[in-house]
Amino acid sequence: MYTLPHISLEMASNPTVFLLMLNGQIETGDFPEFDDLYVKYNYSFGPDWAVTSGLEEGISQVCKRNTYGHRDFVWNFPLEVTFKSTNPYGWPQLVVSVYGLDAFGTAVVRGYGSVHLPISPGSHTSIIPMFVPEASSRFQKFLGWFMGRRPEYVDTNVVARGEGREVTRVRSQGHLKVKFSIVTKDMKKLGYDCIPSQLNTPNAIAASAIASSSTTNQGAGAAAKTVEGPTGSSDA
Amino acid sequence: MAEVHVIGEIIGASEFPSHNLFCKWGIHTGGAWKVIAGSREGQTQVDNPQNEEFAVWSHPLDIHFATKGLQGWPKLKFEVYHMDDLGRNELYGYGFCHLPTSPGTHHIECPTWRPAGSYRERIAQFFIGGAPQLRNPDMVHSSERFTLQTVTMGKVHLKLGLIFRNFDKYGVEC
Repeated sequence: MYTLPHISLEMASNPTVFLLMLNGQIETGDFPEFDDLYVKYNYSFGPDWAVTSGLEEGISQVCKRNTYGHRDFVWNFPLEVTFKSTNPYGWPQLVVSVYGLDAFGTAVVRGYGSVHLPISPGSHTSIIPMFVPEASSRFQKFLGWFMGRRPEYVDTNVVARGEGREVTRVRSQGHLKVKFSIVTKDMKKLGYDCIPSQLNTPNAIAASAIASSSTTNQGAGAAAKTVEGPTGSSDA
Repeated sequence: MAEVHVIGEIIGASEFPSHNLFCKWGIHTGGAWKVIAGSREGQTQVDNPQNEEFAVWSHPLDIHFATKGLQGWPKLKFEVYHMDDLGRNELYGYGFCHLPTSPGTHHIECPTWRPAGSYRERIAQFFIGGAPQLRNPDMVHSSERFTLQTVTMGKVHLKLGLIFRNFDKYGVEC
């Protein structure tokens, strides 16, 4: 037996918070026109959420792609974090940005992306499409080309928000492949269902047992009596 | 009251005739449903892909519903627009989908359509742009569409995670 590193396996009789543990990795990326790329990540989450252990942000190594066959970038960069919360609203999102080095050695953004962490326990793979903002006017575009700079987001967390996007124009380029393994604790105890419940077809004996036990609990009632008739006979 | 959390993304769109697409989305529910947190409607970014036939919106959704009944299960509706070189927006597609009725992660492809317009309108659209729109956008999620002529358009791709709370307490099996 082993214990999970961040979640103590003590029983909480009346939990008020649930935990969400993520183990995973930023595995590979597919950016056909670029080289020398690295990834930055952080998490964006709502006010009810907090990180209880693990790293909240990170920067990967700079990866070159190989010169033969396999054209993806491999970062193989670990993600390990545990969150706690009282409310699923504001569920954490992984916010990633990929940077590349240009001919002058300065870092230029090659893609932003975000994805919600999976809501159900188990293994999940996400392909995150990446995009970069476009200059808002032709003049800005020309100026950016002339100065050798391209538009970037001041705060990368805007890609995790839905509001205020109607003014942004983007160009999508490349993908990131991320693997997640999710463990949750105490969600069921707080009444949350994240996976479909197993529907059983109750057989006659089980159904009558439930019916007869409920009638004895309720005592004598007009509705209970009608149930009692047929079940009593089948029990006997 | 039973609660539903919708956590996911409007991933993007495919199979539309050109690029520079964006989407206005909204939620439509019956009277028993209330949105406790999160936005009821929004608009995505405009994407012009580098080298793929797929518009990326990566638009996060996080909505918290509470309900007293099952009638009027929430629907998501979409209006896909194309922004042309002059910055004009023309309608490219309408579509709706129901939220799934089981918890867990769901991948949804929502097909879209648009009004065809008259022969003259179609010719005008070919040369000067602009597409006919519905005068009453409620037709997108209602079943009163008799006499409407439509054209097939592309698909909107969604990934939705659903978390249900207290449905089993009320004896609802989902």
